[in-house]
Amino acid sequence: MSRWAKQIQLQMKVPAIGIASSNIVHYATGYDFKYSNGMPVRYVAVPFPFTGQPKAVDVGYVSGKDMLSGQPLMAAVIKALTDPLTAEEKISGAADGAADSRLLPPDTEENLRLLFEDKGWTDYNWIQLPSEKLVTEMLKGTSRKPDEVIKTIDITGGQRQLTVEKVAIGAVMAGASPEHFSLILALATQAPFGNSTSSMANMVVINGPIAKRLNFNSGTNALGPYSRPNAVVGRAFTIVSKIVGDLRNNVNAWSSLGSSFQYNNLCFAENEENLPEGWDPLHVQMGFKPTDNVVSVGIGWTSISSVGGSQSLYPTHFLMRDYMRSLTASGSAATILMDPTVAKLLKDTHGFQTKQQLSEWFSQNVEKTAGSYWGNGVIQSTAVPFALQGLEPYASWRKLPEETLIKPFTNPGTIRVVVTGGKIQTTWFVTDFGLRRGVKVDDWA
Amino acid sequence: MNRRKMLALLGVSPALVGGSPVYARTSAKPAPESSPIGDGRITVMNPGISNKLATRYPLAPPLDNLNNKLIYMINLSWEGPDAGNYFYGAMTEWLQRRYPGIKTVVKVTADGMFGLDPAILKEMTANKADGAIVGVAG
Repeated sequence: MSRWAKQIQLQMKVPAIGIASSNIVHYATGYDFKYSNGMPVRYVAVPFPFTGQPKAVDVGYVSGKDMLSGQPLMAAVIKALTDPLTAEEKISGAADGAADSRLLPPDTEENLRLLFEDKGWTDYNWIQLPSEKLVTEMLKGTSRKPDEVIKTIDITGGQRQLTVEKVAIGAVMAGASPEHFSLILALATQAPFGNSTSSMANMVVINGPIAKRLNFNSGTNALGPYSRPNAVVGRAFTIVSKIVGDLRNNVNAWSSLGSSFQYNNLCFAENEENLPEGWDPLHVQMGFKPTDNVVSVGIGWTSISSVGGSQSLYPTHFLMRDYMRSLTASGSAATILMDPTVAKLLKDTHGFQTKQQLSEWFSQNVEKTAGSYWGNGVIQSTAVPFALQGLEPYASWRKLPEETLIKPFTNPGTIRVVVTGGKIQTTWFVTDFGLRRGVKVDDWA
Repeated sequence: MNRRKMLALLGVSPALVGGSPVYARTSAKPAPESSPIGDGRITVMNPGISNKLATRYPLAPPLDNLNNKLIYMINLSWEGPDAGNYFYGAMTEWLQRRYPGIKTVVKVTADGMFGLDPAILKEMTANKADGAIVGVAG
């Protein structure tokens, strides 16, 4: 919104104001203005929530009050378009930035812990304070230079440079060891983690020999708090993401509900040893060699458990299909996590010779109503623009009656199947995580 | 089935139901592997990464009034276009009652809430728009 208002004013030299609910305005006039947009765009604020309300509510806001000034909303609109500019609104030019100091000023451990929490650098669990000695030790886990910039983060503005040394600091804080570090560096190339007003989260999947070498748990309790590598590598992604994203609650992190997935980012390894013959590991499906060490990161929101094990009276893939109807199908993305016993069942009993065959079956057989599909805000935000541009199938789907069934998972390639677990029970999860192409860990060794 | 097994299957700790105390193992607070400087204070590395401040841009000159002005209302389709269209419709009515000469145009962006729709900017330029309202998010 602020980009639009800025572009109009720069290009056309006419006033452009923004209207949003006060939470958005707070971000737009604060963090976004300071570190990203640079133009002090004038805003008027409506009550929240705005979207998803009955028409009368949204219409009523016009005769209501501006949530910023308390004056009648339309008076505030007129004022924003016509008030003379203040001195602050006329400022132009580059601003000076302060350089980071490598070390923090000396203080007591207690005060430093408070400082780390006040700055939002932690997940509010106990951290290892990053002494120079421990960070130096962590850096032995890579041949990369400490000052190498691996990524510049500008998602919310600020152009923050993530160096190898900053990742090492985060890795120490998370409780990782030097042998984890190349993996954490590869993972850091995907930072920061999901940050949205929705409950966006991440999934981290480890493939290749490194999983065994580092003792990642891909067996019993693979997704639970029962393994140090799963715990500390997943946590390192959180801490590095918070540091490099400068993610602070109500400053530039605005998820209404948040997500407890963000404590560990669903970090686990695929149980490659127990894949049925013909079922390739995730990284091989992505085009890597079986011997490559790869970390793959996905974005999603939802995980639905099978709760119990498979039953002979109703095929397992039918139940997965039914549960997948609840997913948004945003970007046609889904990731099915299943115990090796489920994979064996799906192959031996139901005939899915490869993961691809199963993905294609889901793409052809998961249906939901057009109303349910369009009834989701993320779909409205992401797929309506495609429909408005005339892109199919979205343009046609948007014209359908609400009860018409559509097949929203249009791309079998974005329906991933990952096998993990301890062969204790035929259980599984369907999730809406969309896994991006993995990153080779050895490139960061 | 014995009671312990049944409770376990129900997800209830037998120890909890039986009133047996369950004690967490206590452990010593881990010593900070930080650099002491001799007076109880320690030195640690700085995790923070400074933000680069954005280059500042001034606002465009304001309008003197809204009489006979052409105002574009740009609907960013935040979670869909409906809410913005309702709101802009009511806003148009309000403005036209008070500023009879005002002209308003409502446009829904084709690029969603994050994109800048060049067709709208082109149209605004061609039509010599006098101002714009962008939204509505929330």
